[in-house]
Amino acid sequence: MTPEQQKLAYELITNPPAGSKLAEAKEYGIDLTLLVENLKLTPTERAEKLVEGARSLRELQLAGKRHRAAK
Amino acid sequence: MKLEETLRVLYDEGVEFVIIGGAAMQLQGSAYITEDLDFCYARSSKNLQRLARALKPFHPRMRNAPENLPFQFDAATLERGLNFTLSTDLGALDFLGEVSGLGNYNAVKAVSENIEVFGLDHQVLSLEGLIKAKRAAGREKDMKAVKDLEVLLDLRKRTGL
Repeated sequence: MTPEQQKLAYELITNPPAGSKLAEAKEYGIDLTLLVENLKLTPTERAEKLVEGARSLRELQLAGKRHRAAK
Repeated sequence: MKLEETLRVLYDEGVEFVIIGGAAMQLQGSAYITEDLDFCYARSSKNLQRLARALKPFHPRMRNAPENLPFQFDAATLERGLNFTLSTDLGALDFLGEVSGLGNYNAVKAVSENIEVFGLDHQVLSLEGLIKAKRAAGREKDMKAVKDLEVLLDLRKRTGL
């Protein structure tokens, strides 16, 4: 993502064009900043983020399981 | 989840596959997190042999099946089935012979993009393909994903990404 594309992306998510999917998503409550942050990454960096996210999700699930078992 | 190792193992064995599902969403820029890796694979005899050879060292077994249920992961088993949800030493791997809304490997490949991940080129389902597949799957979580994917597509078109 070039600096120009980045600037445009932030402008678009701050003031989405009326009637666009961006406007619809903002209204729906999707965090558009997360999408821009992801688009700034390379595919390999996105893949690494996915692996890290899956690991964190698994840890949370295990912690929840342990908590329920201790009750 | 061992994404890098999984992709390398499949690549090294010459398996024909397309990355689909949550991993494809993330690679295309979505913030979606998934625990399993989904692939669409070619159903040619050669590819079934390659896939069986690639995964065998990682002890594939059917997910949610009784532990004592006999399961031989080889080309013959792959030939008899279509979609396989597997537990392996590499994590949960799903291999689909067909994807809802898209069709078989060739149809899925036709709407995929070549993307370099961990230094290797892989076919990854495009945003347009993901939207079509998620719409066809039609579950509540899929429809949420469609919103995410549509906005990504809009953003990429408007910024020229």
